[in-house]
Amino acid sequence: MSNRIVFEDVSKFYGEILGVNRVNLSIPPGITSLVGPNGSGKTTLMNLMTGLVKPSRGRIEVLGYPTDDAENLFKFVGYSTQFDAFPKGLTGFQFIYSYLCLSGMPLQHAERTAWQAIERVNMVDAASRKVAAYSKGMRQRIRLAQALAHNPRVLVLDEPLNGLDPLARSEMIALFRASAAEGSYVIISSHILHEVDVISDQVILLSNGYVVAEGQIQSVRNEIQEHPTQILIRCDRPRELAAKLFESEYTIEASIHNDGRGLLLKTRDADRFYLALNQFALNGIQIESIAPADDDVLSVYEYLIGNEEVVR
Amino acid sequence: MTRLWWTQVKAVIRLELKKTFFAKRGLWIYVVAALPVLLFIAYAVAMSSEQHQTAKIARDGEKRLAYQDLVAIKSGMTKEEVTAILGKPPLSFHWNERRPIGPDSTVEILHEDLHYSDGENDLYLGLANGKVQSINIHASYNLGDDAVMFAGVFQFFFLRLAIFFGCLGIFMNLFRGEVLDRSLHFYFLAPIRREVLMAGKFLAGLLATCTIFITSELLQTAAFLWHFNPQTRDLYLYHNHGLEHAAVYVGVTFLACIGYGAFFLVAGMLFRNPIIPAAAVLIWEGINPFLPALLKQFSVIYYLKSLCPVEIPVSPGTPGLFALLISNADPVSPPFAILGILVVALLALFVSSVQVRRMEINYTTE
Repeated sequence: MSNRIVFEDVSKFYGEILGVNRVNLSIPPGITSLVGPNGSGKTTLMNLMTGLVKPSRGRIEVLGYPTDDAENLFKFVGYSTQFDAFPKGLTGFQFIYSYLCLSGMPLQHAERTAWQAIERVNMVDAASRKVAAYSKGMRQRIRLAQALAHNPRVLVLDEPLNGLDPLARSEMIALFRASAAEGSYVIISSHILHEVDVISDQVILLSNGYVVAEGQIQSVRNEIQEHPTQILIRCDRPRELAAKLFESEYTIEASIHNDGRGLLLKTRDADRFYLALNQFALNGIQIESIAPADDDVLSVYEYLIGNEEVVR
Repeated sequence: MTRLWWTQVKAVIRLELKKTFFAKRGLWIYVVAALPVLLFIAYAVAMSSEQHQTAKIARDGEKRLAYQDLVAIKSGMTKEEVTAILGKPPLSFHWNERRPIGPDSTVEILHEDLHYSDGENDLYLGLANGKVQSINIHASYNLGDDAVMFAGVFQFFFLRLAIFFGCLGIFMNLFRGEVLDRSLHFYFLAPIRREVLMAGKFLAGLLATCTIFITSELLQTAAFLWHFNPQTRDLYLYHNHGLEHAAVYVGVTFLACIGYGAFFLVAGMLFRNPIIPAAAVLIWEGINPFLPALLKQFSVIYYLKSLCPVEIPVSPGTPGLFALLISNADPVSPPFAILGILVVALLALFVSSVQVRRMEINYTTE
């Protein structure tokens, strides 16, 4: 059995409208974020992964199972969708309980498991109320509880932090991290790049239905050759350091930081630049810290996609 | 595996039944199912009132009459001869008629209508100038006519309209309603085979329609029997195939729910607008009597009509097309009819199971 989520040359068209095109992916365990502007194909990719829509072309397998085998697929896949509609008349508890009963779980076991899932998203107090009376954040949490209820190995979450307050956001992020740490596959789509940056092990950048880049953020950043790497150096004598650095062929731009205690440099060869930097440090300049300034999701996103519809 | 599927089917049924029985948009189905019950209640009330009137006339008569007395009156008897047998009429009307017999002359005729009763049968006598001209005996209980009336309501309203539209309302919404509510993904995200989901939804629909329409059918029978006195009721139920007919009507209702249910389940998956398939099926079922023998077999009503226990007689003089519509020109045997409905339903369910596997969640195009 494969231990990856695999897309092979997958395309999806809605009539003449492109959903995603020629997607090839192999998603490993950990937290993978799908990042892209509205209409870039994030939800389509998630719907394809869970069999809610079928590919117009190509093949998808989730841990070795085809996505049209719902009976087996959803034993280890949980999907929290963006669809904000629920079966009519159900309470939060009934929503989770019914879902577990549908999977064939014995009633008592389903009841116990439903309460556990509700506890995980802190919804015990509201569980006996009708879902229709829930706030947006509560509906989001009960959807998460449904996705988590059967402890799936693959958790697909479409904008899972939408509508949540800061406390709930951090609780949910902790939950995703815990799942990933246990070896689960957590696939998240999000507009909120600083959160993506904090939680993701790898990202998949989408634009207009195409996968623009995929992998760990740093490796993605390293592959973007047309934008020089930016490095922030904190030191006691930034002007002196800047002058010396310009002697090196790897430095192409340097600017003094606003507080006067640092330098922002641009280089086309970061590895060699770091080696050269060691020489200057040995020459008596006190260097407090060296950190890449643009190997985060936000920078990668801006370089590859531009800065449309993005929440920093 | 079969045990798991059955557990899942039960879970689907539990969820669906709540929605089906208590959905606001399904309230009209209860109204449609209740209409024939109300009709029979109204009929029973009218008949009871008529029976009270008959009993009163019998009480008010000069003599206590028996049926033999009523049939003893013959055409041409004088009023005196009638009153000698039946006594003074408890209810009578009279009027004069001036009938022209030439360009300037008329003759006056005295008309009298006499009404007698033995308590169960009414005798209406029409006299002209003191002689009996017309005799009409009307029984309070006419089991034959009542059974035909019941069959007419069952075949032409209950079967063709109430159950038809009730099944349309329930079965077409099993998937279509969820797509419109944007909640179908709830089912599609569960580890359940789509075919098992379809089977669960179909059984839930069947349970709901059968509960509603068989209850209606039983209430209709109860209302229909209400105005009979206990002896007539026993006669009808135990010696006149009444009980057997009631059971057959329940069976036909059940089969109608299966047949139309399967039909509308698949229609709900293939069409966005229910009016199109409803109109198409209604027309198809309506023109069934005029179709060639082979095409007739692809219809639900063809088999259901053959199973109905009472044939509706075609009155002489009924126009040909209507006569064809009323009569069952080439009925099939009950086992073949039951098999036919089940085969039609299975075909529809097979198409549904193929269709449900192809379904995608794409609410924005709806």
